[in-house]
Amino acid sequence: MTYALEIDGLSKVYGTMRAVDTFSLRVQRGTIFGLLGPNGAGKTTLIRMLTTLLRPSAGSARIEGHDILSSARTVRSMIGVVPQDNNLDRYLTCRENLVLHARMYAMASAEYNRRIDELLELIGLTNRQHDFPDTFSGGMQRRLVVARALVHQPRILFLDEPTTGLDPQSRRAVWNYVQSLTPQMTIFLTTHYMDEADTLCDRIVIMDHGRALVDGTAAELKERLAHAHMYELEFSSDGERYEKLLRELPFVRNLQRTGNSFRLALTGEEFLKPLMDRIGGDDIRKICLKEPSLEDVFIELTGKEVRE
Amino acid sequence: MFRGAIAIFWRDLLVLRRSLLSELLAVIAYPLTLYLAFGIGLRGYIADVDGVPYALFIAPGLISMTAVSAAFNDSAWSVWFHRRVQRTIEEYRVTPITVYDIVIGKIFSGFAQGTIKGFAVALVIFILTPFRFPPAHLLAYLPFIFLGSMIFSCVGTICGTMIDKPENIGRVEAVVIVPLIFMSGIFFPLSSYPKEAFAVISLFPTTAIFEGARQALLNGRVAQLSVGILLATAVIAFAASALTFNRKMSE
Ligand SMILES: Nc1ncnc2c1ncn2[C@@H]1O[C@H](COP(=O)(O)OP(=O)(O)OP(=O)(O)O)[C@@H](O)[C@H]1O
Ligand SMILES: [Mg+2]
Repeated sequence: MTYALEIDGLSKVYGTMRAVDTFSLRVQRGTIFGLLGPNGAGKTTLIRMLTTLLRPSAGSARIEGHDILSSARTVRSMIGVVPQDNNLDRYLTCRENLVLHARMYAMASAEYNRRIDELLELIGLTNRQHDFPDTFSGGMQRRLVVARALVHQPRILFLDEPTTGLDPQSRRAVWNYVQSLTPQMTIFLTTHYMDEADTLCDRIVIMDHGRALVDGTAAELKERLAHAHMYELEFSSDGERYEKLLRELPFVRNLQRTGNSFRLALTGEEFLKPLMDRIGGDDIRKICLKEPSLEDVFIELTGKEVRE
Repeated sequence: MFRGAIAIFWRDLLVLRRSLLSELLAVIAYPLTLYLAFGIGLRGYIADVDGVPYALFIAPGLISMTAVSAAFNDSAWSVWFHRRVQRTIEEYRVTPITVYDIVIGKIFSGFAQGTIKGFAVALVIFILTPFRFPPAHLLAYLPFIFLGSMIFSCVGTICGTMIDKPENIGRVEAVVIVPLIFMSGIFFPLSSYPKEAFAVISLFPTTAIFEGARQALLNGRVAQLSVGILLATAVIAFAASALTFNRKMSE
């Protein structure tokens, strides 16, 4: 058995809404798996089912070979969970939060104290261990939640948007840390950040409306768009007006705008000339062909822009 | 076995220890006010009740009232807070402990709070009052404060589990808990009720707590019927709270 995680047709239905829709997946042991999707895609719902918090409407899943329904307790002893929202106990100090967690796993105090010292050192909170989480910054709280999930040395770690709201420096610190956990541990993370998935994940699935849209390495996903013609355009002024103009062109897709620069895909190479004819040459500062980024793949698949 | 319940209980006692003094002060203020207002303020107007001085007559009820209210409040708010605000229940639930561990841990915390606060009030009243209960009577009182706190802790757990809006917990307390407590003869003998009402009210578990407490503290007598009623109620309340919590968690 080499799979840390096997999901077969897992679904969660709320009324008529299928939050997760017959989702299937295999995750290899010791890898970092990334689940990408826009808001409401069903990422958290999927994680909640896998971590035995939510009962699936249909389907099944196994973690390290143990069924999440019939062997829920065994599953829970093998997983570490970092939820989307920090759920620290604000009436307990940093260290006490970790100790309570260890006690739930019936760890001996000599064992957990050593482990907690180690983790506190690693996340740089040794000096703050007797302070309450309320006095911590968002990044420090997040690191504490991650440390808490690791006290009992899980086999597979679930991270629901581990770096949302962190500054670039803290994000990088979390990435480095997560990376250092493999290959002893399998990591399952969700994120909105393309760069995060790109640098961190061995394998990526993009999901929306409860379904998996694509599956592969970052390079493979970008390869799917290799046929697409991504261009970067920069105007000296009038971004507003050019956006309207570009949106009306039938052969322009996946338009993204930042100020006066645009990123877009053409449905075919032959449309470059019509494009240039429409926008004229007066305000153009720059136009160039671009390698597709993971973000382009994401927008291509989820049409996220259109829905917002 | 029950290590999760023990861990949660440990957590609650740790937190309680940090705020014990201020909490005790707050919790003693109310029954003490009642005691002073009714027991001392009305002393000249109320004759002895069945030969017992009025201040003494209401003391057992005030102690028990403090215990059961504290048990109810602590359980209800704690379960609600950990479920809805801190979401720490979710952290508990991804560890290998069971939902029964959580509910048992929380019930015992509420029970402990009730018992500790009840005894604190007892201590203050004993210091203030000129009357003394023989210490042996305290022993007879133990089953009532224990079972009463246990029942109300279970009821509180049910409320904290089922009720999502905090204001509704306050409403349940105002509409159900407080009347139930006050109707059960803290301030007056149950014989003041009309016959038909008496028959109904004497079956209330709260009546068993308050009447039983009074019998125990004043006369040193353990009313067996009351203990029986309380034991049965405690078992039912415990089963109901475990069931309710389990159902809520598997939603
Ligand atoms: N308890 C619930 N009752 C009804 N609908 C729900 C419930 N929980 C989630 N949903 C719906 O399920 C869908 C998926 O939600 P989910 O939280 O899994 O999304 P997500 O991918 O984690 O989004 P985000 O990136 O914003 O965290 C959403 O449309 C949400 O409204
Ligand atoms: Mg989410």
